[in-house]
Amino acid sequence: MSVLQVALPDWLAVISTRLWVAAGIVLLGIILGYLTMLMGRRLLHRLGIDDAVEGTAVERAAGEYGTSTVGLITKLAGYFVIVLSVFIAGTFTNIQFADLFLRAAAVFLPQLATALLILVVGIIIGDKIEVLVSERLRGIKLPEIGVIPATARYSVLFVATLIALGQIGVATNALIVLLGAYALALIVFTAIATQELLASGAVGVYLLLTEPYSIGDEVAVAGQQGIVQEIDLFVTRIDTDGEEHIVPNRTVLRDGIVRIQ
Amino acid sequence: MGSFDDVLADIMADIDSVFLFSPNGAFYERFADTDNVVVVAGENTVEAETFVELPIEFTNIKDRIRFGIEGAMDNDLVEEGNTIACFGSIFADDADSAVRVRVSEDLRSGLYDLFTNSRADPNVIRDVFDVALELGRKGQKGSPVGALFVVGDAGKVMNKSRPLSYNPFEKSHVHVGDPIVNVMLKEFSRLDGAFVISDSGKIVSAYRYLEPSAEGIDIPKGLGARHMAGGAITRDTNATAIVLSESDGLVRAFKGGELILELDPEEH
Repeated sequence: MSVLQVALPDWLAVISTRLWVAAGIVLLGIILGYLTMLMGRRLLHRLGIDDAVEGTAVERAAGEYGTSTVGLITKLAGYFVIVLSVFIAGTFTNIQFADLFLRAAAVFLPQLATALLILVVGIIIGDKIEVLVSERLRGIKLPEIGVIPATARYSVLFVATLIALGQIGVATNALIVLLGAYALALIVFTAIATQELLASGAVGVYLLLTEPYSIGDEVAVAGQQGIVQEIDLFVTRIDTDGEEHIVPNRTVLRDGIVRIQ
Repeated sequence: MGSFDDVLADIMADIDSVFLFSPNGAFYERFADTDNVVVVAGENTVEAETFVELPIEFTNIKDRIRFGIEGAMDNDLVEEGNTIACFGSIFADDADSAVRVRVSEDLRSGLYDLFTNSRADPNVIRDVFDVALELGRKGQKGSPVGALFVVGDAGKVMNKSRPLSYNPFEKSHVHVGDPIVNVMLKEFSRLDGAFVISDSGKIVSAYRYLEPSAEGIDIPKGLGARHMAGGAITRDTNATAIVLSESDGLVRAFKGGELILELDPEEH
């Protein structure tokens, strides 16, 4: 030990050994962080993450800032390692206030990193689900159908945000209760306001799938006789000598329909 | 130079209103102080107050002007006897031509009517035109193909026709404008018969043999049975027929038994 101390030049001794150890740890942390970025990138590429997030909003937003989702996540991990090394180094120094601050941060920062990761993953999953659902619904020709994928996406986002907020210790109970109340009110009012439409829509689905009568057939519904011009989700249009009767689909199922051969 | 200016001044004398065809922003600004400016374009990019929407870019300049004027007449922007100046572009993208037109009922060819006042939705008619033009451009495996689309009043059309074969669109809910439709229609156009399309754009049937009474139908000589059937069905019903000719490759539209519009797919 004494040999080592002799070998050290004078100017090194000015700074305490603890600080040198701390600096070494930070340096090691930076190298490890950089390695984490490289390895993480390779791992995520191997897992096919970059293909999976292709075209999502996160990827587009990341692309605008000259990076990608994979780059974003690996950078987050790399910085986390570096910051962690700074904390460990901090415990080796004797500076009192830094120690105190770092102790508090050491608890909080990993939580923040986890929260951010959860948020990013949530946004990506939300985007993916929106794309998947809208692809499934492509065959259905309804302009309003666009609401369903968006709802699915925002539900995932909402859950991800709740989990992320829970991670950093924000009380989320009030948010959940509020949303529950909104959802309940919305469902109740929508059900009351649109019960006619819902009933017609349900019958409309049946009519469109099974087509008991089709465009061009001569039919009689609810006392109206004529040629079927159009069947959509909610109504059936029946043409009689220049008069067009628009019959709600629920009437069709309730009263029955007569096909005239 | 003097005579040039004189001629131009003569053409542009006593103008009641100005029609701008697909103007760019700067060109439109130059008419900011002028009264009675009507913009005719595919989209109202200059946010003009008086605007007539072009459903398709007519390459025929006569059709384009006629459509604009008919649209303006229907919306009471101009009236018979007015003289209007039209500025548009024929070769370049900038305005490069000025045309003087006197508004009269003779100009009415039903072109505007065809798109906006048909039974079927205007978007549906435009989509069918797009499909027919695309089919005319590419053909079926390189060889020219003919097709007959009957749009609107599908119930009556179905009643005045009979199936030639099994209907491939039975129990399907395909609409013109869906991405897959172009491929499907291209395949099905190989077989004879008409496509029937409903008011809202649903493809009701293919392979229909139309049975209208063709008595008294006057279509240009040289056109075949497909055009005759298409023209005749529009007189018997409120439908619009859009026909792609196999022999000369033109797309023609019939309404009320009359030929309204003729388009060359190669130019669109």
